[in-house]
Amino acid sequence: MSCGNPAVEGTDAVMQRKPKYDKSRICVKCKENLGKIVVRHAVYCKDCFFPFMSFKFRRSLEPFVNAKPDGPRKTALKPTGDILVGFSGGLGSSVLLDLIHRSYVSPNLVQTNPEGGRDHPRKDRVWKNVNICYVEVSDAFTQMKDNTEDIRHSIERYKGLEFTPLRAQDAFDPSWWAKTDREFDLSHMGVDLTSEDLLLSSISQGSSPKDSLRKYLSSLPTDTARSTALQTITRLLIYHTAHRLGCSHIVLGTCLTSLAVSLISSISQGGGFHVKEEIQEEWAPHSTQEVKSTRSHTNDIRIIRPLRDVGMKECAAWAWWNRVTVVGRESWEWTGSKPGIGKLTKDFIFGLEKDYPSTVSTIVRTCGKLAPKGEVSGQCLLCSRPIQQGVQEWKTRISIRSHNTDDSTPSDSVATALTPYLCYTCHTTLTSRSPRTAQDNPTNVPLPMWATSTHTTSFTSDALGVNKDDDIEVFVGKRTTEEQMHNIVKGFLLDE
Amino acid sequence: MSLTIKIEFGGGLELLFSNQKSHKIEVPSKIPARERSESERAVDLQYLIFWLRDNLLKERVELFIENGTVRPGILVLVNDTDWELEGEGEYQLKDGDEIVFISTLHGG
Ligand SMILES: [Zn+2]
Ligand SMILES: [Zn+2]
Repeated sequence: MSCGNPAVEGTDAVMQRKPKYDKSRICVKCKENLGKIVVRHAVYCKDCFFPFMSFKFRRSLEPFVNAKPDGPRKTALKPTGDILVGFSGGLGSSVLLDLIHRSYVSPNLVQTNPEGGRDHPRKDRVWKNVNICYVEVSDAFTQMKDNTEDIRHSIERYKGLEFTPLRAQDAFDPSWWAKTDREFDLSHMGVDLTSEDLLLSSISQGSSPKDSLRKYLSSLPTDTARSTALQTITRLLIYHTAHRLGCSHIVLGTCLTSLAVSLISSISQGGGFHVKEEIQEEWAPHSTQEVKSTRSHTNDIRIIRPLRDVGMKECAAWAWWNRVTVVGRESWEWTGSKPGIGKLTKDFIFGLEKDYPSTVSTIVRTCGKLAPKGEVSGQCLLCSRPIQQGVQEWKTRISIRSHNTDDSTPSDSVATALTPYLCYTCHTTLTSRSPRTAQDNPTNVPLPMWATSTHTTSFTSDALGVNKDDDIEVFVGKRTTEEQMHNIVKGFLLDE
Repeated sequence: MSLTIKIEFGGGLELLFSNQKSHKIEVPSKIPARERSESERAVDLQYLIFWLRDNLLKERVELFIENGTVRPGILVLVNDTDWELEGEGEYQLKDGDEIVFISTLHGG
């Protein structure tokens, strides 16, 4: 800790200061009250801030409630299923839950509905059941507190909600998978992360879901990859749970600021093809030909981020002024010394928002306009996002592989590659060439249940919509031993 | 002469301050001059931030202060009003002021 004179250290910052708001301190809406908060250069009083924020929330959500998106809402809200709130305990999702509860669960509490929700209480709830799903990730780390009970406690103030707590390792738990609507399939497949093709082979059962989760994460090449993988696991656990609970909508607490962070960090990890999905997506639980659901709503699930126009600062003010409990979430710190891309991006965006408050929304709006080039050739087995057509051909050209059909190779070395079924981001997450920080030997690495279960059906069929023969030729090779590999490339090697 | 100030921490920032959300503190009303050319001046929010660092902060200064002011992502309220409307660090403290620091760093 510094022992310098506090007054002197502050001098620089004081000299640079200029007002962060335009014109006067009077509220820009009512033009009467003294302002209480500055939102991107505009001054608001409390009376105007609350309705303005819930207006932005509804504007981002309600046009997408009915199966057919209908722009500014004119018809009644009639979703085809229930709603699930993805809850992290962080600021955004705490505020989101508060807004959902005020607006749709007990609208009588609403003091903030500009259209006069109090005078016209809705007879019927928009969503019959409002589910909250929390994924506890503490077991992915060595020293992280389990927050499940704190979360349960913090949401008790909201009546009439269903709470579904999950754990990250559920993704590796066959008994959890059996509870989802899927055809139960126990294929214990492990992946070899040392091969560019990501060859799959059967692995023995027996390790606990928690050990599998840890082995999976510790086998990944970088801290950035670990964070991305854990994020994907959390997201997919929530999606599958929403499907099981009969939800037509998932809402996430990603606000404008955190959306900018995830867009930039996703793009910098090669996720440019997924920019649209990062903002809003429709998830098809039955993308591969599969069990017919017995439920009436077999539609896709729509994932919405209703706070995407609301900055982190507005969320903080809402939470403080409305006494919303924020349990908080610990930052994901891995053992590696270098901060991951996610952390660096976060620092960058938060700094930007402080000094240039309008820039962050420009980033998000610009990303929203990006139209990824290329056709979609399938759905990624790991993250459920689209695979860009041709990305594998490109990879084939730059990597060495063998399609040897020589039968002399022992049959147990016949392997299936995972690579063709992955999007570019997931493939990079598993294989990026930075110096490995992993201690474990990254072979026979367990995978989340959805990846291996779908795989057994999809690799024998043409789930990717490509010609079957080509499919087999390209994707089902035999494991190339190091010696075979050496034989293939030896013509290109120089004598030492 | 000293001023009594009420300090509140929110959004997890209290974890850096002995996990205590509310504090009552006393700070001198004038900042003494350091050089002859300088005159003593009224205590401001900037001074308070460094006072908190030196007197109340228990760990991880980088999560509270950056580049001579509070770290980006921390919302400051002066008597329930955004400090950006009150001159930020230049705001002159008054006896009985309530200053709130809320972290927004805990994401969505
Ligand atoms: Zn107003
Ligand atoms: Zn993927």
